[in-house]
Amino acid sequence: MQLDRDVNYIVSGLERSGTSMLMQILVGGDIPTLFDDSRKADRDNPKGYYELKGGKIINSVIEGKFPFDEHKGKFIKITAYGLRYLPRGNYKIIYTERNIDEVLDSMEAMIGKKDGNREKTRQSFLGLNEIVKGFIQDRDDLSACFVNYNDILSRPRANIRRIIDFLGISDEKLEDMVSIVDNRLYRKRR
Amino acid sequence: MSKEKSIDQFENVPIPKAIVEKIKKRIEQTDFDSVSSYITYVLQEVLSEENDEEEAVFSKEDEARVKERLKALGYLD
Repeated sequence: MQLDRDVNYIVSGLERSGTSMLMQILVGGDIPTLFDDSRKADRDNPKGYYELKGGKIINSVIEGKFPFDEHKGKFIKITAYGLRYLPRGNYKIIYTERNIDEVLDSMEAMIGKKDGNREKTRQSFLGLNEIVKGFIQDRDDLSACFVNYNDILSRPRANIRRIIDFLGISDEKLEDMVSIVDNRLYRKRR
Repeated sequence: MSKEKSIDQFENVPIPKAIVEKIKKRIEQTDFDSVSSYITYVLQEVLSEENDEEEAVFSKEDEARVKERLKALGYLD
């Protein structure tokens, strides 16, 4: 399976909104992806993070130092905050959303501490999600497939078919990709 | 528009002649001394409104809170 080598492919979404599961699904479909093992699998992401530089890739994106040209033709994960700093290019993005309270629950679990300003945090991340989605829709060098983590778990086949159609690739690996969706990982259900 | 600004601070952007003619008529009897200064003013207003809209959805305070959270999660230095 090959992707277009003139395109930068990105999996994105708010942190803790299913970006790792999307990367797993892509790997399950033999779709080219790029990640390292700088952040090991743990109780928060038992199947791994599928990130570059332990997720801190967004630092170099913000600083304008990330070599996008060297990462064409493969999916990488850049979480939502970093997307605002994408230089002009040619991008295809799969952007996932998730019930915001589940996102916040998962963040609290990962940090190991209850958020004393949860309602403010909620509004801030909702705001970030909104402006990033607007940014994606406004840019003419980006095309995006918006998915929803909760809906993928409910209807994996339909959602993964949308991703396959978005990428314009064969559906021969559809069932392999569907099998990746693992309801046992859905621990922060609301 | 300040005349002291050097020429390399400007770009030529093609605009349909019909619009330029309309602007010329519009700026008669106004303080705008050129089509260019009128277009610059209008675009600055539009862009400023967009920034205000973004600030309303995602303020600097929101951004600071998100960055703090992302640092705690290990996504930002």
